[in-house]
Amino acid sequence: MRRPIAISLAFLAAVPLLAGVAGLPVHGDPSAPVHTHVSARYIEHGVEEAGASNLVTGVLLNYRGLDAAGEVTVIFTALIAVLAVLTVASTRDADASNHDGRVRRSDADRRHPDHPVSPIVHFVVRLIAPFTALYAAYVILHGHVTPGGGFQGGAILGGLFIALTMVLGKERTRPLVRPVLAPWMQGAAVLTFAAVGAVGALLTGVYLGFPVDPSLRIVRDLMLIALEVGIALGGAAVLAMIFLQMEAS
Amino acid sequence: MHLWPHWLALIVLTPLVGAALTPVVALIDRRTPTWWALSTMTVTSFAATMLVLRIFHEGPFSYVPGGWTAPYGIELHFDEFSAVVGVICLVGWLAVLFSSRYTDSLPEFARGRTPYYYTLLLLNCGGMIGFTVTGDLFNLFVFMEVLSLSGYALVAVGGERIAEMAAFKYLLMGAISSLLVLFAIGFLYGITGTLNIADVTARLHGFEGPTAPAAVALGMLVVGFATKAAVFPLHVWLPDAHAAAPSPVSAVLSGLVVKVGVIGMIRVYRIYYGSGMFDLTVLNLVLIWLGAISIVMGAFFAVFQDDVKLMLAYSTISNIGYIVMGLGLATTYGVIGASVHIFNHALIKATLFFAVGAIIYRTGYRTLTDLRGVGRAMPLTAVALSVGAISIVGIPPTAGFLCKWYIALGAFQADRPFFGFVLIFGALLIFIYYIRMVNAFYFREPVHAEVAEAKDAPVSMLLPTLVLASLCLIMGILGRVPLTFIEPGVARLLAPLGG
Repeated sequence: MRRPIAISLAFLAAVPLLAGVAGLPVHGDPSAPVHTHVSARYIEHGVEEAGASNLVTGVLLNYRGLDAAGEVTVIFTALIAVLAVLTVASTRDADASNHDGRVRRSDADRRHPDHPVSPIVHFVVRLIAPFTALYAAYVILHGHVTPGGGFQGGAILGGLFIALTMVLGKERTRPLVRPVLAPWMQGAAVLTFAAVGAVGALLTGVYLGFPVDPSLRIVRDLMLIALEVGIALGGAAVLAMIFLQMEAS
Repeated sequence: MHLWPHWLALIVLTPLVGAALTPVVALIDRRTPTWWALSTMTVTSFAATMLVLRIFHEGPFSYVPGGWTAPYGIELHFDEFSAVVGVICLVGWLAVLFSSRYTDSLPEFARGRTPYYYTLLLLNCGGMIGFTVTGDLFNLFVFMEVLSLSGYALVAVGGERIAEMAAFKYLLMGAISSLLVLFAIGFLYGITGTLNIADVTARLHGFEGPTAPAAVALGMLVVGFATKAAVFPLHVWLPDAHAAAPSPVSAVLSGLVVKVGVIGMIRVYRIYYGSGMFDLTVLNLVLIWLGAISIVMGAFFAVFQDDVKLMLAYSTISNIGYIVMGLGLATTYGVIGASVHIFNHALIKATLFFAVGAIIYRTGYRTLTDLRGVGRAMPLTAVALSVGAISIVGIPPTAGFLCKWYIALGAFQADRPFFGFVLIFGALLIFIYYIRMVNAFYFREPVHAEVAEAKDAPVSMLLPTLVLASLCLIMGILGRVPLTFIEPGVARLLAPLGG
């Protein structure tokens, strides 16, 4: 009985939604408001105003910088939510590593990953790891010119960390998430936004402002790159730490 | 650099950056997160004071981060309704102070969560502040996600099985409502090409073209925000979540977070009243009825609860009913009463949850039967609780009276006296409960030794409770100040654009 009710409810909800979608301007219509109003300025002046050849980055980090700052806060919140709900005091390894700086581990742990891994997967992951890292760096640092940026590069880095942890075992990747460094990494994106925003406030008089003066172009580019790197580090840390926390519990 | 123009950016920034640094300062010592969160909230409260002072001086004002004027950039806009940041900061600050002892009562296995608890509390306050001061639809959504996500986790942080289930239910309902809101924002962007609230309003004014997307967007926004506000029949997540959460969190969730839904509705109403696209009579009638049902149903369920926190949670549904009904009446008195009740109910409900939280902390019991006689054992806490109880019933001269009176006046002004009587009936119903409570706490013999021997709450809990309780009285005596303060905002909300 439940399923028919659920299906009919879904249909009932779909009818107004489809009616709404049907009333929207045709997709790709050049005279639609989405193309003629705000975005027209982005397209026309975005490159020189916002300082990024990649218009998406220009809108994301410059025109609507506060949204990006909010989005990295959402990601940070998601991580803290996971940590708050899943942290259980009985993770003795974490306590041990907090106290004497290194982890007590048995010899078996040292040699083997946590789960048996096929030698082919083991080899391939190790083989592509440096290239993946290089590609992530490219995506992050080139984000204001070509498609990509901090979010995408951070996801690649986080994925790389997860793949390496699965293949090599937690003990080999643990040095990357030292207890002293981990909290800084978690908040990296939020803190970078605050720092760059404050620099902008000093230079232009408004929070998250970017200098438009041609002589300060290099400063503006550096600010954009700093944001991309911060977003990437924070994003990668969030992915990696959610993974570690879920594996621990 | 002079900070006066920057407070609007700083009030959003401070709690969020403070939150990002909380896990860092937790490395120093077990106690530092508490102090860190307290100082962060102190700075935020100072910013809120400056902003409220400024709006008294010069009326609504804006700040454009990045320097791109609206609609090209994001605009932070501080109007009369944004002044609710004052109460967000006050209750948030007191909740942090209250938590300093409360987190010690977390179960053994959850002790490691304390720094994350404070991080989430700061994120929650930051999200709410951002939500109330932004003038941009997508930015509104982003901040709504910050406060919703942190809210779900805060419910579950205590680690009891029931809290985790309640948080999951809250998460499911909350996620659906967020989706509805996001989809609606997409619709509005699709037909206007802008995300700035004022600009959307202007472009929908005299809009030519199919109005279906705007109508569907209105429906989705109202349903989405009504879910966040827990209006009947979308309230099912609230009682469990608010009763199962740690008490300081319940105070924040019940006093503040549900109001975010109402503020969202006010923002939506601004767009649709301003543009004059639709005749909102039918929608308003629906809101009045849902508000009326929430009032009576919430009060009715509250009366039959033995668990004190569950009863307070149901009473929140009832009070949200008052606010939604006031909004739906769409008369000056009704909307003014509703807007001020957002503020006053936050004070009252936080008083009640703090007092009850202190009692649970000292005795370990949470039902009326178990807590008999606690009023004599914990006199100061019980006095605060009684003040909160009188205020929530709406007996003069407490904070609850004037706004309910205004909503009732609004009902008569709208020529719907029936709803004025519904409102009084709801207040009478809830009165029965508080008589039961006062009777149990003061006039019955204790059944448990722990209750009879309980001492008054520790200072870190007693202080927030008493501060809020005295504010309940002060706001009752100075009740006209917020009413006159919000009036221009309400006039602007109800007026069509250019009219």
